[in-house]
Amino acid sequence: MYKYALRRLLLAIPVLLLSSLIVFGLMRVMPGDALTALMAESGNVGERELQKLRAELGLQRPYHEQYLVWLWQMIRLDPGYSIFTNEPIAVALKKAIPVTVELAVLAMILGLAIAIPVGVLSATRQDTASDYVGRVVAVSGLSLPDFWLGTLVITFAAIWFRWMPPIGYASLWDAPWKNLQQFLLPAAVLGYRLSAATMRMTRSTVLEVLREDYVRTAWAKGLGGRLVVYKHALKNALIPVITIVGGQLGTLLAGTVIVETIFALPGMGRLTVEAILFRDYPVVQTNVMLVAGTLVTLNLLVDLTYAWLDPRIHYR
Amino acid sequence: MATVTERLHVEEPAFVAPGRAQALWIVMRRKPLGAVSALVIAALVATAIFADLLAPYDPLEARPEIRLAAPSAEHPFGTDDIGRDVLSRVIHGARISLWVGLLAVGIGTVAGMLIGLVCGYWEGRLDLALQRVMDALMAIPGLVLALAIVSVLRPNTTNAMLAIAIVIIPGNARIVRGAVLSAKQNRYVEAAQAMGCRHLRILARHILPNVTAPILVIASIWLGNAILIEASLSFLGLGTQPPTPSWGLMLSSTGRAFMEQAPWLAIFPGLAISLAVLGFNLFGDTLRDAWDPRLRGSR
Amino acid sequence: MATHDFLAHPLRHHVNRRQFLTRVGWGGLGATTFVLARGRRVSAQPASPYPDWIPPSPKPPKRGGTLTRASAWDPPVLDPRLTNSVGLFQIASLVSNRLLRYPFADEAANTTDLTLKGDLAESWEGNSDSRMWTFKLRKGVKWHNVAPVNGREFVAADAKYCYEAYAKEGVQAFTFGEIEGMETPDKHTLRVHLKSPNTMFPQNLAEAVTVIFPREVLEEDGDLKKRMVGTGPFILKEHTRKVRAVLARNPDYFDKGRPYVDEYTILSTPDAATRTAAFRTGQSDFHWVASLSDVETILKTTPTAVVEEFKFLQTPFGLALAQDRPPFNDLRVRRAISMAIDRQKQVDTVYEGHGILGWGIPYIYFQDTKPTAAQLGPWWQYRPADAKKLLTEAGHGNGFETTLFYYEYFPQMTSQVQLVQQDLKKNLNINVKITKLDYTTYYGRYAEGKWDGMAWGFKTGYAVSLDEQTYQYMHSKSTKNYFRFADPVVDELVTKLRQTPDRAEQRTITKKIFEREHDQVLRMWMPYDPGFLIWHPYLRNIGALAIRRSDGYGSSTLARLWIDK
Repeated sequence: MYKYALRRLLLAIPVLLLSSLIVFGLMRVMPGDALTALMAESGNVGERELQKLRAELGLQRPYHEQYLVWLWQMIRLDPGYSIFTNEPIAVALKKAIPVTVELAVLAMILGLAIAIPVGVLSATRQDTASDYVGRVVAVSGLSLPDFWLGTLVITFAAIWFRWMPPIGYASLWDAPWKNLQQFLLPAAVLGYRLSAATMRMTRSTVLEVLREDYVRTAWAKGLGGRLVVYKHALKNALIPVITIVGGQLGTLLAGTVIVETIFALPGMGRLTVEAILFRDYPVVQTNVMLVAGTLVTLNLLVDLTYAWLDPRIHYR
Repeated sequence: MATVTERLHVEEPAFVAPGRAQALWIVMRRKPLGAVSALVIAALVATAIFADLLAPYDPLEARPEIRLAAPSAEHPFGTDDIGRDVLSRVIHGARISLWVGLLAVGIGTVAGMLIGLVCGYWEGRLDLALQRVMDALMAIPGLVLALAIVSVLRPNTTNAMLAIAIVIIPGNARIVRGAVLSAKQNRYVEAAQAMGCRHLRILARHILPNVTAPILVIASIWLGNAILIEASLSFLGLGTQPPTPSWGLMLSSTGRAFMEQAPWLAIFPGLAISLAVLGFNLFGDTLRDAWDPRLRGSR
Repeated sequence: MATHDFLAHPLRHHVNRRQFLTRVGWGGLGATTFVLARGRRVSAQPASPYPDWIPPSPKPPKRGGTLTRASAWDPPVLDPRLTNSVGLFQIASLVSNRLLRYPFADEAANTTDLTLKGDLAESWEGNSDSRMWTFKLRKGVKWHNVAPVNGREFVAADAKYCYEAYAKEGVQAFTFGEIEGMETPDKHTLRVHLKSPNTMFPQNLAEAVTVIFPREVLEEDGDLKKRMVGTGPFILKEHTRKVRAVLARNPDYFDKGRPYVDEYTILSTPDAATRTAAFRTGQSDFHWVASLSDVETILKTTPTAVVEEFKFLQTPFGLALAQDRPPFNDLRVRRAISMAIDRQKQVDTVYEGHGILGWGIPYIYFQDTKPTAAQLGPWWQYRPADAKKLLTEAGHGNGFETTLFYYEYFPQMTSQVQLVQQDLKKNLNINVKITKLDYTTYYGRYAEGKWDGMAWGFKTGYAVSLDEQTYQYMHSKSTKNYFRFADPVVDELVTKLRQTPDRAEQRTITKKIFEREHDQVLRMWMPYDPGFLIWHPYLRNIGALAIRRSDGYGSSTLARLWIDK
């Protein structure tokens, strides 16, 4: 087990290095650079001025040097400055991370709150009307684009209830009530989408458990037995659900890009997309590496938990 | 946006398969939802193929004098911002969406399968290296990766597809690798190896059939996701270009811009997207139920 | 994301009473403005149930209250030298002053009243050849009482320093580059010497982009990206990117008793549907709306809202062709394309009958009424058969393939782009491949000016002045000649225009420029509707002013807004 953990940890290093190379490479082959984007609006900046700025930012150095410089910055945990705003990237991240983390955590909680009851219900009443309804409702979450669901929710809440989440982000510590109002709807939109996968996983695990002989016996014994089943089934369902949830982080982060735009929240998603559009290399690179690092770490934790919970599995 | 990280656990040998079609047939008869999803997909495919015959109007022909007309006998789905027939655009949109799905999922699946086969069958150093590359790709959020790729290649439908394909590859490679690993444990594979059969032959005869089931299940689900990613890229302005009638573009641009004045601009493409995504997802479920009840995971 | 306030803008003209008295040459002008306005009322726009001018409130203003607006724009940096972006100037116009300005909503005679007023300057005067301009500055003006200026007095040397910095680099370099030298004979006098005569120089100092910033910030920070300090009615209390900008009332503002509101909050709201919801739920006090039917949908849920339409003076958008290379360098090709596009149909449908056919120079600079279709000339009429003939003469009888890129400033633009595509295909067999780009890519590629084929182009985001609208955008050597034309006749005319002090003569020359541009199809203007401003009924003196949207480049008028609740 420890050997396995250590091995996985060591393997994470090349993975992150490769991710960094991919992002770095993509950013450099993108047409246009941050400076043309930055200067585009001013119109009057001469080629000489641009050269000077490029030199200051190290953009005229060979790519491998730029890459190594950046890598060294990452290792020192000092990502430098945004080309576009001149703001230290660390400062921008400090503002954006809590938004996205809160959104993600809330979405997860809401997603699970929908998924697990529906999944269990659907499994215990397999092939009945409530099974179908539950599944269709959950799977519908997958079938509506986030931007569409978000737009509908905002527009119709405003028309019908004269209400919408207050615009202008307030932090959870400064104004908890306002903050919750701001996050509940977007988190619900994201959570609804997440619930589909978790619900199906819960359903199929519970189904499997229900097929075991001893469970059938307990089930047949009536209410008391059924309670046992619920407990047992849920406990078993937990393992794969953890995996699924780990696997959904990517989806969740992608969803935040869109939901943050519609609900005007200043999170990582908007920061990253804007940086891509502005060709703000250091910001894109840092953000992606941060997310990659988080995903790799979380997946590692998930796998380790999984290994720990279920010793039947062996690893390669 | 879609679940990008697929995790699928194949714990025990997937079954070997005589009568796959038969298994599917049995499941579908038992589970009406599966049959319905199959019908939806069949209808979608037929619509795409016969779009030219089915569409009452040219999907590109603008008649601005009848713009934003509500649904009527002549235009059952109404008309859009420059007076094009929405029904015809939704019908032709099926073609775009299938094209999106088939191209993206096709490339993603074939490439993922090849990588997965190579990794799983030979294991060793190459496996180790390729797996790290796949992990690295998976570590980058799919939509961000797709956005970056589209920005590099210039936004259009084909490039959006390529970007989605690249997003799909690592998950598929991982699943196939897992399936190969478990198939290899079968005695007959070991026997074949012991007998000195050629690798290609072993792969083709013994491994591949075990891999196709999970791959088809995942591919069908990805078909739905590809449509959603394309819509998200359109929302962010990096997808299909006007005037091409893609559902995602119709919903995210005119659908949203005129949602109160002309809700039909959003309702019909939105329904089409939901129906297609739902169809592919439920069909994926059905395939899974039919072919490999133990194959679970992934959404 | 930053977008430009193209919808807003430009126009102007004017002269104030003092100048009227001192400068004979400009004499006719103040009067003309009035006449103009009257004449214009008669030949009204396509019918709209909403007025284009709401007179100032006769009630005595009340102090206090807070104003909020959900804004599409969010400036990435605060340095006015780096960008023309309306995102920045929706803030800078309230934090800072210029030397001169245009009338605010509570003092304008009508929406097109462009009489120049003093802002930091009290009076101004040019010498006989319009090469030397003297500005007498307002006394007792204080910088904001915040670091690093801490309320010190504003003096002539500040303006000099600022203009020198503008001349050196950035957006304003073209305007200030024509300054040969400046002196400050005393603390409150600035004398500017120009390299060549420019009778319209004072107007350029009233452009939103010429705000005066303090030297201390530039010297301490090396740039102006992080802090914005000024002499204006509001102090920038907070600017959190992607969240909000909070402007707090400046208690030491030189215009005593103003501004009326305590705080103005601009909420960064990138999505249009969300901004509409914010207006409906009262989270946003005022809101720009693109079309008549959008106004109607909003009024359905918010019937008390007040609506005003922006006056039609010009269009900022048109089809830009790479006319420095084939096939568009052939005049016949340009004329053929222009005649193959059914502009009236776009007005009638996409703009719901509420729009203009399109021309580039605000018409009030050369005539009293909106140009008619006929006045735009033969190449601007929809004549597909003639177009085909002309294109065949030019050797492209079978059409050709080309590309068009654009950014969707508002949804109607996408409709127009596709209609143009269809017209060109149908009438001339020209196949246009459309690419819709993100804002940054679009702006960068367009302004760089090396693209091929076509672009849905713009001329300027902020310009009001005639000089800006002509010389600075049409001279072949200008860095803002985005439409990439080089026409010796235009070059001569625009240069002559800025040397002409007489207003009547200016109008004649401007008309010639207008006619030349249309005859040569140098910029292929497209139909346009500047849209509507809509606000909750408790706002007073927010009125929309032509070319100066109060949510954009014209936001300085909010110093006079008050809340009646």
